[in-house]
Amino acid sequence: MGAYISLPTWWQNLEQRYRFVLGECLDCGAYNFPADGACSVCSSLTTFREVEPEGTGEIVTKTVMEEGAPPEFESYLQREGTIGVVIVELDEGVLVPGMLTDCDPYAPERGDRVERTIRRIYEQEGIVRYGAKFRPVVE
Amino acid sequence: MADVYVVGAAQTKFGAFPDESYRTLFTEAFESAVESVDGEFDTDSIDEAYVGTLGVGGRQLGLSGPAVTEHAGLDGTTCTRVENACASSGTALRLAVLAIRAGVADVALAGGFEVMTDMSADRTRYWLGVSGETEWGRMSGMTFAGVYAHMAHAHMSEYGTTREQLSRVAVKNHANGAMNPNAHLGFECSLEDAVNSTSVADPLNLYDCCPTSDGASAVLLANEDVASSLTDKPVRITGTGQASDRVGLFQRQTLSSIPATRDAAEAAYDDAGIGPDDIEFAEVHDCFSIAEIMAYEDLGFCDRGEGGQYLESGATERHGERPVNLSGGLKSKGHPIGATGTGQVVEVFHQLRGEAGQRQVGNLSCGLTHSVGGSGGAVAVHVFEEGWA
Repeated sequence: MGAYISLPTWWQNLEQRYRFVLGECLDCGAYNFPADGACSVCSSLTTFREVEPEGTGEIVTKTVMEEGAPPEFESYLQREGTIGVVIVELDEGVLVPGMLTDCDPYAPERGDRVERTIRRIYEQEGIVRYGAKFRPVVE
Repeated sequence: MADVYVVGAAQTKFGAFPDESYRTLFTEAFESAVESVDGEFDTDSIDEAYVGTLGVGGRQLGLSGPAVTEHAGLDGTTCTRVENACASSGTALRLAVLAIRAGVADVALAGGFEVMTDMSADRTRYWLGVSGETEWGRMSGMTFAGVYAHMAHAHMSEYGTTREQLSRVAVKNHANGAMNPNAHLGFECSLEDAVNSTSVADPLNLYDCCPTSDGASAVLLANEDVASSLTDKPVRITGTGQASDRVGLFQRQTLSSIPATRDAAEAAYDDAGIGPDDIEFAEVHDCFSIAEIMAYEDLGFCDRGEGGQYLESGATERHGERPVNLSGGLKSKGHPIGATGTGQVVEVFHQLRGEAGQRQVGNLSCGLTHSVGGSGGAVAVHVFEEGWA
């Protein structure tokens, strides 16, 4: 059937799905997302210390998808017409990808401030999967 | 260490072929490759076969290598299926080169295949983009075009690369592909058409994206002893390089470059004892327009950030100083994932032998192929030179 994320796989990372919980490498101090396996900076197979990020950051890159979506998001695309996806540099200095919400996805630009908010991500096998999306910070 | 020569290379047409199967396509490519050998090629002489496929659609996911070689009459030949996403057969080529260099094989086959156009839209959606990082990238809604759209946005923001420069990749490659009878989309397009086409994943539009295609390709390699008995127009693989990187774009050090291309190219240049200035022409992995612009930079054809201007200067056009994607590239020739890497070799083989027909560009003596898996999780680069060692 192609790529597929099982429910147990989804549940293994709920703190990352909801709050982007980072891992600080005990060897080199680098923050990792997701903190899983070797450190992305020093390759050490150490354990990570959990770090709770603020959940805010700046847009580094953005795309607005209009034609085609992963099957998990096809109904969302049909309904909304677009899917905005950003790669955000969290204030802790780590890049994370996420969907835009609560805005016209064409409006936010590189450098704009965004914050995480819990949303319905998609539904599969009759179970709704929740996680974080990004919305513009209202000053 | 044995020297490695390409003695035969061929591909099927790339396109949509509902009457063919992955096996009939592979056999057609293999038979054409055998016919392309100057001398009498003995198919029993193949010691090792490496076949690339992503396995789109399921079909024969396990043992898909032997499933095609048995169909091609090679049922006793040692065969390994290779998967490195869109670089699957670029990687298969490298394994075949290494087998000959190591002396394990005197003759080796590298090839690939994919069938992508025969499924319902629903099923296709499950297969497209399976080489993107799944747990976080795909789960934030990104298609494969979406991943490259982020790279385009980064490149445009950091270096001022323009909408028009992206579209010029499509115009150039379609102009080349229009002369290639094997091309999936063998028509020319105007800059106006390319700039104004429908948005897919902003900033990328339809003309920034290659098609999904059916097709197969096959390359026959031999050491010098065997090659010298088969041809007097030798094409030698003088450099091979491969590199891997993090699968997810967001986990890399840069979003506006493909580090694995730089690493693989450096290894291939070192291996060949040359530098990027020696490359006269190249087939690069233009799955999306921005990918070709980044390839110019990462392969060392121009400085970082100058890929857009380099293209605009005309350097990579058919009669430019370094033509790129004379075959039409993935954009026009098509992209049947597993067949793409060794498909690039077909154009290089013909150009170096002066047999590219109306696409022939003068007397070329040194070319390069560049095969990217995913958004840069795996890259294979090879250098080809005309003449004996």
